[in-house]
Amino acid sequence: MDFAFIAQVFPKLLAGLPLTLLLAVLSLLGGGLIALGLSGLRASSWIGARVADFYVYIFRGTPLLIQIFLIYYGLAQFPAVRHSVFWPLLREPYVCALLSLMLNDAAYTSEILRGGLRAVPAGAIEAARVAGMTRLTLLRRIILPLAFRQALPAYGAEITSMVKATSLASVVTLMEVTGIARAEVSETYRAIEVFLCAAVIYLVLVTVIARAVDLLEDHLTPYRRPTSARSVA
Amino acid sequence: MKPITVELTHIRKSFGGQEVLRGVDLAARDGDVIAIIGASGSGKSTLLRCIPLLEIPDQGEITVGDARIGIKDAGHRFSRIERQIVRRLRGQLGFVFQSFNLWPHMTALQNVMEVPLHVQGRPRAECREEAEAMLAKVGLADKFDAWPAHLSGGQQQRVAIARALAMRPRALLFDEPTSALDPELVGEVLRVIRALAEEGRTMLIVTHEMAFAREVSNHAIYLQDGRIEEQGPPEQVFLDPQSERTRRFVGMQRGS
Amino acid sequence: MDDSLTLLGFGPEGWGHALLNGGLMTLTVSGCAFAFGLGLGTLLAWARIAGAAPVQRLAQGYGVVMRGIPDLLVIYLFYFGGRQVASAVAKQFGHVGPVEISGFAAGCLAIGLLSGATQAEVLRGAFHAIAPGTLEAARVTGMGRWTMFRRIIAPLALRTALPGLGNQWQSVIKESALVSVTGLVETLRAVTVAANSTELPFLFFLAGGAIYLVITTISGFLFRIAEWRSMRGQPATVGRG
Repeated sequence: MDFAFIAQVFPKLLAGLPLTLLLAVLSLLGGGLIALGLSGLRASSWIGARVADFYVYIFRGTPLLIQIFLIYYGLAQFPAVRHSVFWPLLREPYVCALLSLMLNDAAYTSEILRGGLRAVPAGAIEAARVAGMTRLTLLRRIILPLAFRQALPAYGAEITSMVKATSLASVVTLMEVTGIARAEVSETYRAIEVFLCAAVIYLVLVTVIARAVDLLEDHLTPYRRPTSARSVA
Repeated sequence: MKPITVELTHIRKSFGGQEVLRGVDLAARDGDVIAIIGASGSGKSTLLRCIPLLEIPDQGEITVGDARIGIKDAGHRFSRIERQIVRRLRGQLGFVFQSFNLWPHMTALQNVMEVPLHVQGRPRAECREEAEAMLAKVGLADKFDAWPAHLSGGQQQRVAIARALAMRPRALLFDEPTSALDPELVGEVLRVIRALAEEGRTMLIVTHEMAFAREVSNHAIYLQDGRIEEQGPPEQVFLDPQSERTRRFVGMQRGS
Repeated sequence: MDDSLTLLGFGPEGWGHALLNGGLMTLTVSGCAFAFGLGLGTLLAWARIAGAAPVQRLAQGYGVVMRGIPDLLVIYLFYFGGRQVASAVAKQFGHVGPVEISGFAAGCLAIGLLSGATQAEVLRGAFHAIAPGTLEAARVTGMGRWTMFRRIIAPLALRTALPGLGNQWQSVIKESALVSVTGLVETLRAVTVAANSTELPFLFFLAGGAIYLVITTISGFLFRIAEWRSMRGQPATVGRG
């Protein structure tokens, strides 16, 4: 192992970490908002539910990379797009990568949300309704907290999966961790060292996130711990 | 005569063509303890669930305190104003479910405080104090911070009763409150309900516990096939029923 | 619209054959990677269920590492890393310059290694879902370990694992699109080539998406049939209906 080389490459790769994190955070935020919209659509009407189903079907049934290409390269096929006010944005690989990551994340998140909502015990809702709660209070105090707790493990997996998915942004020239690694390899031809360094960065990041989600889950669902463990805590 | 707290007029309800309630009238005056008995499928739980409109009757009128809802035909859609009335109606009732239905993400105390604090908007300190008093009253002064999942069925049901009491309801409705409990846990819940009856609370109790129903109620209703077959003082309904069908049901219960 | 049909068709002007071959290559790469992953996953699951403590630790660590690294990076590592190693080895034998290695092999290996980690989890979960009494009933007849695995454990576990394995297969198909970075002409690579030479990227990437959708939909359907068939004779609560 050439430690001098690794010591030199590592900081270069770390310089891509802010972009990796930014892409992950923004796509999770945007994707989460779209997913909430999809849930609303699903609840609105039969047609709305079918539209939401179709959206999820399309985005979960195709690879993320082709979604990125479709937006980044594909949209430019239309003169109307090239001449629209959005072109300065849609020309940017950053915007296109982010947009596809958001749309993709929304499909998965909306399924997780759906699972969480379905797992809310009917009795808990009934008890709240019978106490005279308004729909908003019911949603805010009972349904969403319970659904969120239920969905947390799956959503934690989705967070780490999105962090990893940001690496695909490198394919449309973005210089996040993988993009920098790729550039470094084409300069030095030392693929193993460089890509392993990048892998370590992702591994640490994903492990930290997974641990944080575990802690959050533990904090939010003390009632799932056995009684004996609670008295010790 | 004391004022009427809960009144049902001519309640009808069908499920998929099957008539479950065929025009039931019922009135509970302040301080009444009404026991509703009947075989399973007689419609007694549906009747009780119609009061807070957990089941929406196809027809009939429901009055609780100052809230009144009338329904003329099946598939009734509530207007905004009616929805407000329904909430006001529900706010005056405490409902205790067969399967407790505590909110799993809240401690015992949080369960009891939830409605006073977040629905009725009363001051937090007052809610807390009252919730603690209610839990103490049902014998759970040492379980304020316990999670529902860590409590026995009997304890969960007592939390549920405290939760209903904390709403300061005009009437308490019990839907087979001990049916989901292990036999050795039934006693602790019945004791709590009996104490509430002795306080003079207005209660409607759907139950299979015949001896308990007779002892605690001042009025008993026997429901069969969605109709009131017989009603009157518990001594009459349980010991000397006038109707043959009531006699058979009560006799069978005693035999078992 | 007519132009689009011609371009996507099988005529002399059409890219139909190229896309079809791409789709078949996607299936081939995915199939190889999935099979490799299933073998690896079985070994890993076995290591975690029955292995000695250090072996268990090792198998668990493998899973953590593989789930923590982006798929694309693993493919890069095997493709470019493999090239690096091959070139170094060739240099020892007097060959000068870079050596090409197969994108197909690197892709299968990378995706198989990734998928194996997840498949191991699915299989392990399925094993633990077997009622202990069932295994005891087999053991009490004096059944040997291999027979027990073949006749009792594998059929029961596979049944429970089927939905999870189905999800993994879908993931593998989608991950196989990443192998296009090695230049292997699977679906995504085929549509990229077509998009570049016709300058109709939207049309061809859309067509590519449709190919993946057809593959994932049909295989989802087949897995559901398999699930349904395997659930025959099971109590209703076990079924997912």
